[in-house]
Amino acid sequence: MTDGVPARQLWRLHLEIRDHMPLWQQMLVVGSGVAAGLFISVCVLMTSGVGLSALWNEFVVFIFTNPRNLSAVMTQSAPLIIVGLAAAMAFKVRFWNIGIEGQMIFGAIGATFVATFDIGPESLRLPLMAIFAMLGGMAWIALPAILKLRLQVNEIISTLLLNYIAFNFLLHLLYGPWQDPVSSFPHSEQFAVFERLTSLNWGKLDFSLVVALGLVAVSFWLLISSRFGFLLNFIHSNPLMARAMGVRVAVLTLIAALSSGAFAGFSGFVVSAGIESRMTQSFFIGFGFSGILIAFLARNNPLTIVAVSLFVATLMIAGQSLQVFYQIPFATVQLIQAIVVICVAASEFFMRHRIRLAS
Amino acid sequence: MNRIPDRTDQATAGGPVFAPDEQFLQLSGIVKSFGDFCALDNVNFDLKRGEVHSLLGENGAGKSSLMNIVAGLYTPDKGEVLIRGSAVAIKGPADAAKLGIGMVHQHFKLVRPFNAVENILLSNPTGRYDQSIRRMRSLIEEKAASVGFEIDLDRPVASLSVAEQQRVELLKILVAGAHIIILDEPTAVLTDEEGERLLTAMRKLAQDGSSIVLVTHNLKEALNYSDRITVMRSGNNVDTVNPGEVTSADLTNMIVGQSIVEQPHPAESIGEVRLKVSGVRTARDDSARALDNVDFQVRSGEIYGIAGVGGNGQDELVSVLMGLVPVVRGQIHLHGQGDITRARTDERRGFGMACIPADRHQYALCGDLPVADNFAISKVLEGQYGTWSRVDRRKITAATREALSGYDVQGVRREDQRAGLLSGGNAQKLVIAREFSGQPSAVIAHSPNRGLDVLASAAVHGYLRSARDAGAAVVLISEDLDEIMLLSDRIGVMNSGSIVAEFDMPADRHDIGGAMIGHD
Repeated sequence: MTDGVPARQLWRLHLEIRDHMPLWQQMLVVGSGVAAGLFISVCVLMTSGVGLSALWNEFVVFIFTNPRNLSAVMTQSAPLIIVGLAAAMAFKVRFWNIGIEGQMIFGAIGATFVATFDIGPESLRLPLMAIFAMLGGMAWIALPAILKLRLQVNEIISTLLLNYIAFNFLLHLLYGPWQDPVSSFPHSEQFAVFERLTSLNWGKLDFSLVVALGLVAVSFWLLISSRFGFLLNFIHSNPLMARAMGVRVAVLTLIAALSSGAFAGFSGFVVSAGIESRMTQSFFIGFGFSGILIAFLARNNPLTIVAVSLFVATLMIAGQSLQVFYQIPFATVQLIQAIVVICVAASEFFMRHRIRLAS
Repeated sequence: MNRIPDRTDQATAGGPVFAPDEQFLQLSGIVKSFGDFCALDNVNFDLKRGEVHSLLGENGAGKSSLMNIVAGLYTPDKGEVLIRGSAVAIKGPADAAKLGIGMVHQHFKLVRPFNAVENILLSNPTGRYDQSIRRMRSLIEEKAASVGFEIDLDRPVASLSVAEQQRVELLKILVAGAHIIILDEPTAVLTDEEGERLLTAMRKLAQDGSSIVLVTHNLKEALNYSDRITVMRSGNNVDTVNPGEVTSADLTNMIVGQSIVEQPHPAESIGEVRLKVSGVRTARDDSARALDNVDFQVRSGEIYGIAGVGGNGQDELVSVLMGLVPVVRGQIHLHGQGDITRARTDERRGFGMACIPADRHQYALCGDLPVADNFAISKVLEGQYGTWSRVDRRKITAATREALSGYDVQGVRREDQRAGLLSGGNAQKLVIAREFSGQPSAVIAHSPNRGLDVLASAAVHGYLRSARDAGAAVVLISEDLDEIMLLSDRIGVMNSGSIVAEFDMPADRHDIGGAMIGHD
C-alpha cells in the first residue's frame, strides 16, 4: 500500500461545465462529430474492400453531381422530415412516442379510406386525404396519451405495442376488403392521378418535399415563436415547476401528443400518395426509429431537423448503391449509420463541457 | 503499510501515537479559479487531530470549493495540501479516501433503490458479494453503534428520511476508514433536533481521535459545537478564532465585512381579512402527511408566520394554497374573489397569489432554461410579452434586465444564461423578482431563507416586508423559528397537519416551541 500520492506537477485535463456556447461553435462541434463518424465509417468500408476512390465516387460525386440521385435524396428526405417533426413534437413534452409507425399506418388508412370510397369532389380529394390521415394518426396516439395522463400508463410501452396492432390491422385490410382488385396483390388499389402528390418533374421528386417544408415552418412557429412553444420548454425541462407556475401541463401535453400523431399520420399519407401511389404493407418500415433519431440529433429544433433528415437520406441512398454495386451487406450500411449517429450524439458532450489542459 | 492510525491501530500499539497538537491537514496558499472567477485566493487552513473545526462564510465565500479540493473533486491551481506534514497530490475522491479523507456533500450521492448496506458496499467494494455483504453489515452495525446512529439497513434508501440518508452517507465514509470528515452544510436539510443529534455524534467522533470540518453558515452551530472557527469571505480566509472568545456579532462582522443584524419591523397598518382558510382537509397518501382541519386567516398588510417542525404538513399547505393538491373538505377564501377552493393554479396566480416555494430549484426555477424565460413565464401565462402566436423576446430581455438590477440579482452576465447556474441567494432573488413583479395580493413564502447567507436572507426578508407594506397578505411558513420571530406580525403553529395554536406578537419563544413539539 502506498503512502498516499506523492506531490508532483502533472499535466491534466480539466473538465468544466459550460453555461453557454455560441451557435457557430455548436455547429463546429456537430460538424466535427459528423466528420469523425464519417472517418470511422470510411475505415470500416475500406476494410470490407471498398476503395477510397470508390467511396468518394459513391458519396460525393455520385450523389451531389448527378441530379437524379440528388432528387432521390430529396424524395427520401420529405417523409423523414415529417416523422422527425412528429417525434420532436412529442419529445418536447417528454411524451416518448415510439408508435410513429402505428400512427403512420393509421394515417395511410385514413387517406386510403378517402381514396377508396371516393369521398368528396376530385378537386378536394387530396386535402381530404391529408385531413383523414391526420385524424387517423391522432386517433392512434389518443389512447396512449389519455392512458398516460389519466392513469400514468407508460407511453413507451403502450405506443410501441400499438404498432403491432396497427400493422396486423393493416394486413387484415390489405389481404381482405382493401386488396387491389386489379392485380390481387396484397396492397390497396392504385390511387387515381388526382389522389397522388404531383410530381415536380425532377427525377422522382414530388410535391411531398414542399409539403414537408411547409410543416417545418408551422412547427417552427409552434415550437420556437409561439406562446405554446415557450410553455413547452418549461414542461420539457421541469414539469413540476411548470405545474407550480400554473402551466396546464396535462392539456398542453395532450395537445402536443395529438400533434405528434397528426404529423405521423400525415407522413403516412405523404408516403402513400407520393412515392408509393397506394397503401402497401411495408411503406412505413424504419420511419418510426428514423424519426426518433432525427429528432434526437436535431434536439427537437425544426430547422435542424431538415438538415439532419437530408443527411440521413444521403446515408440511405448512398447505402443503397453500396449494397447494389459493392455487395456491402445491409448490416454494414446500418453499422455506418449507427457510427455516424453515435459520433454526433457524443459531440453533445463537448457542447455542455469544456476541457482544458492545465498543469 | 503506512496509514493514518485508527483506533484499533492505537489499541494494538498500546497508546496514542500522535502528539496532542498533531496537524492532520494543512492547506497553504490555495488558489483556484473557474474561468475568470477566482473562487479561492491564497487560502490557508489547518485541522488538528481530534477537533471540530467550523468553516463559516456566506454562500460563494469559497468554503465548499476549499473542501472539494481536500476531497479530491477539484485540483488547486496553486498551493499545497499537507497530510500529517507531508505534501500530497489528491487526484480524485479515491486518493482522498486512501488518505483517510471523507466528505458528506450537500446533495447525497446514493443509489435510491438500494438499501444502506448495498450503498455502503458500493463505495467500499471487497471480495465476493455474498460474503462481503454479510461482513459489511456487521461492520456497519458496529460503526453505527459507536456513533449512536439508529438506522434501518434493509429499507431502500429512497424510503429513508433525509436525516437517515445523511447517516448512510456518513457511515459510508466511516466504513472507508475516514479520519478527516468533512460535512458540507449538514444541518441545512435537518430539523433542529436532528441537527443537534448529528452534531453531538460528530463531537463524539472527534473525542475518539477523528477530525471534523463543519462547513456551515449557521453561527450558532459553529459557536456551540466547534473547537475552532475559520471564517472565509469572498475567496479569502479572514481569521481563525476560538468560539469562547467571540460573540455571534463578531462573527457576523467577520463574515459579511460589515455589521448587519436584522431588526424586526412590525406592520403599521393592517387591513381586512385577505385570505381565509377554514377547515381544510386533504386526502392521505403514502408519502405526504395530509392536512387535517386547517384554520387560519391572514389580513392585508400583515405577515402571518406558520412555525412548526418540518414534515407536519407545511409542504402540503403550500400545495393546497396554490391549487396543486385538491381539497377534500373545507374552504379557501380570497378577498375580492370569493371561494377559490376549486380554482386552478393559473387562476389563483391571476387573482394575485404569489408563491416562493422551499425547494426553489424543483418548483420555482427551470435550471436548463434562460434566466429571462424563468423571469417572464408568469407574465407570459397572463398573456403579456407578445401575443399567443408570438412571444416578444425583446420585451422579455428588457424587462428581465430591469428586474435583475431592481432586485440586485448578481452573477447574470447575459439574460439567456441558464438559471441553474445562479447561486442560492441570487436564484431566490430571481424568484422573488418574478413573483413580486405583479404586485401580489397574497404571498405564500416557504422557508425563504433556506440555504441563504446573512446578507441574502436580509435582502429577501426586506422584500417580504415591502410586499406586506404594499398591502399584501403574507403567509410565511418556516421551520426556522428565528425567521418566524423576526418577521411575523402573528404566529400560528402547525403540528400534525393542523394549526394547533396562535400567538400575537410579541410572543414568548418558549410557548411557541412548546406548541411545536406538543403531542398529536
